[in-house]
Amino acid sequence: MRGADAEREFIEAVPLDYPSLLDPRFVVSELYNTRNVPAVFWIDESGVIVRGNDPVYLVRRNRETGEATINERYLEAVRDWVRNGPSSIYVTEAAETQQRVGASDEANQQAMAHFRLGTYLDRHGHHEQAVEQFKRALELKPENWNYRRQAYNLGNADEYGVSMQEAIQTVGPFYAVPLELPEPPAG
Amino acid sequence: MPVTILTTDSESEATGARREGDALWLRNDELLATTGWEIKPEGVCRGDLCVPLPEDRASALMAERDGASWLDIAGFAGYVGQDVAHDDATDTWYFGPGPEEQRGQLTSLEAPDFELPDLAGQMHRLSDHRGKKVVLALWASW
Repeated sequence: MRGADAEREFIEAVPLDYPSLLDPRFVVSELYNTRNVPAVFWIDESGVIVRGNDPVYLVRRNRETGEATINERYLEAVRDWVRNGPSSIYVTEAAETQQRVGASDEANQQAMAHFRLGTYLDRHGHHEQAVEQFKRALELKPENWNYRRQAYNLGNADEYGVSMQEAIQTVGPFYAVPLELPEPPAG
Repeated sequence: MPVTILTTDSESEATGARREGDALWLRNDELLATTGWEIKPEGVCRGDLCVPLPEDRASALMAERDGASWLDIAGFAGYVGQDVAHDDATDTWYFGPGPEEQRGQLTSLEAPDFELPDLAGQMHRLSDHRGKKVVLALWASW
């Protein structure tokens, strides 16, 4: 399954009261400089990022038992921010937020060009050519797990000569370091 | 064979495109239709931005043929720092964001705006939620 069909069952499995959007071209990943999912951002009323690029699972499902665990600790932090706004202890310093959402570099822009072209070629039945473009994207940005996971998902790891596990061992951290979640003050 | 031209937000074909080595020549009307760039007296323009070309660049990147103006869009993209990716077998070209676009350079903490569809095809824009707090969560089903 490709595109929206691949995500439909996940989106429809939960009664959402917020928009769940499809981003087949990875536009948001590019704009927000993310390299993997999950990635969570808090954006305040004036459109400013106040906590950025946090690799947080809001719900985790045990693949074997199917049991879902809601990340209550994180949700409590969100509620605290909703109540307290900029004075919430979970809002990060501007400098730290800036560092986490940082600027994209030239290699990333060129890698994105190959990734976008590969995505188009795959969608139009040119899988072999798509793999060539994905390889070039991964040469430039091996640490962009969005690229690697999508590329492997559209084909298989054998086409790239390196398994996901091997890549994780050689390339380095799979997830960004989670932001700290300070303990709420007692009382 | 037509050349397929992709940009960050469009996919189109240029039937009159000419390949010459690394150059990709587009007639001015097709240039505008496929990339948004257009040759004007003041330079190569898109939206409010005009890039004037120094004489040596202009003679290398622009040409008059068959009563029309042509631009080597591949060479021009290199000149303005627009990222290019190209597949020979299908003659498909991707041109990345131009110098006028934000290109993921988060120099302020203002959340970049975007517009995307939901499953029903209805479009949603981040800035529609101004005045409310937003939790933006990126996920995938991999």
